[in-house]
Amino acid sequence: MEKRNQFLLVLLTGIILSFIVLGLITDGSGDAIEGFLRIQIHSGRLISDFIPIGGIGGTLINAAFAGLVGLILVIILKVQLSGPTYAAILTIIGFGFFGKTPLNILPIILGVFLSAKLAGKMFREYIIIALFGTALGPLVSFIVFEFGFTGAAAVAAGLTGGIITGFLLPAIAVSMLHLHQGYNLYNMGLSCGFFALFAASLVRAAGHNFESTMVWYSGGSPVIIWLIPALSLSLVIIGLISEKINGIKEFLSIQKLSGRLPSDFMDLGSLGGALINSGLIGIFGSLYIFFVGGSFNGAMIAGLLTIMGFGAFGTHLKNSWPIVLGVILSTLIFGKGLASPSPLLAALFSTTLAPLAGQFGILTGIIAGFIHLIMVLQTGVWQGGMNLYNNGFAGGLTATLIVAVIQWHRSSKEDLS
Amino acid sequence: MKRKDIILHLISEISGYLLEENPMRLVISLHQEKDGLHLSVMDDNEHTDKEIEKMEKDLNKPKRPELSGYYGAMTGQDLLGSSRLNLLGWQVKHADVTRTSGGIKIDLWLGGDKFDSRRFNIPEK
Repeated sequence: MEKRNQFLLVLLTGIILSFIVLGLITDGSGDAIEGFLRIQIHSGRLISDFIPIGGIGGTLINAAFAGLVGLILVIILKVQLSGPTYAAILTIIGFGFFGKTPLNILPIILGVFLSAKLAGKMFREYIIIALFGTALGPLVSFIVFEFGFTGAAAVAAGLTGGIITGFLLPAIAVSMLHLHQGYNLYNMGLSCGFFALFAASLVRAAGHNFESTMVWYSGGSPVIIWLIPALSLSLVIIGLISEKINGIKEFLSIQKLSGRLPSDFMDLGSLGGALINSGLIGIFGSLYIFFVGGSFNGAMIAGLLTIMGFGAFGTHLKNSWPIVLGVILSTLIFGKGLASPSPLLAALFSTTLAPLAGQFGILTGIIAGFIHLIMVLQTGVWQGGMNLYNNGFAGGLTATLIVAVIQWHRSSKEDLS
Repeated sequence: MKRKDIILHLISEISGYLLEENPMRLVISLHQEKDGLHLSVMDDNEHTDKEIEKMEKDLNKPKRPELSGYYGAMTGQDLLGSSRLNLLGWQVKHADVTRTSGGIKIDLWLGGDKFDSRRFNIPEK
């Protein structure tokens, strides 16, 4: 266990450092730092790709530092590095391209910390909630930069809003788990979306209208195109080198798991098997974007890093493809483009529902993916774009519906008389 | 979580696991002390050595406070799909799985920081 911890610490630190170095090299240190600072004062609401805002260099540095906040927290709290924390750190890094900044995530983390204290729990018992709860980072940035406050009042308001958000998240997160019973991997997406509904409603009641945001990079930089494929291939190679044939065996055994929360593939399988799975998911995700003609940009990197992270915590090739197929069918039937931003994001993030396919089969997975796309096209507006895990929110609603139907059907079939 | 709730969730999860094999008999026994409890569950189904080994491994997982504090809330409540012994494993002090004449016995020991294993009968290894 300690060996795995050290291995992952080196791996994640390596990823973070290489992003920083790549960012400084790509744009030069001056431009990269300026870009990083521009990103800090952006609201980051959906859909805000940070690359046009801060440049490639600034965005890479932002992502690295956001990830570093999460990693430092895990180290300080002496939490084991394994599937869930690997997923959390990669997700934070990914969304550092697409809404999260080191500044807008800190108040939420502080709020969760205070919640743990009040509940008499150790902070590390809520660390997963804190790390994934940073999905509401744009809520903090929105309060500071868009709501109308200025100066110190804006900072105080943002800080307060973030702390209150983080404080309430543990209670919401635990309740939301029961709705879908672990069949929606991005439970914090559902929880944050649920909270954001109330927050957005309050904002609208105060007379503020959310301006729609669409910042989408289509520049085609080779750095952005090849970043994730290169990382994914590296993970596969690392997994193979570290465990050789056993890594492949464990990768294959992981495909038999449902993926239902909490499935730590590094524990249920092995570190090597999980890394191979994670890398292959990144490769297939990248290939999907390439074949449908989508743009490689900040949002796509967020999606790819997230699904790669969850490649160690619930998602694998066998339980993902039915969901993605459902999204594709839904996209085509409703006349949307596969390469359009929302369907493309949905195709990647819909794998939040992978456990449904893993447990209940291919047809259930396809239906789940189909419904998911319909929902996700609506839910972003409901919560003012403040919840970055919009697909987790839509996925949670979808999973809840499907779980309710399956549970009813099963309980109706069983009869004691 | 209140003690009563914890006990109910444990009983529900472990019973749910054994009931998947549809035993004819299932016996549940609880012994509580101030700082801990011992829960024992017996069934009358045949289990292979591999199954017993897996159960004991899942129930004696290293503690994962980052998972038990959050996902542990699903223990004994969310029963669609297979029961998951690792949800219990993260929360118990010790677990034993032994064969009886007709089936198996699963012993679980839980406790807080002041848990004194001598007040219970956790076998010494």
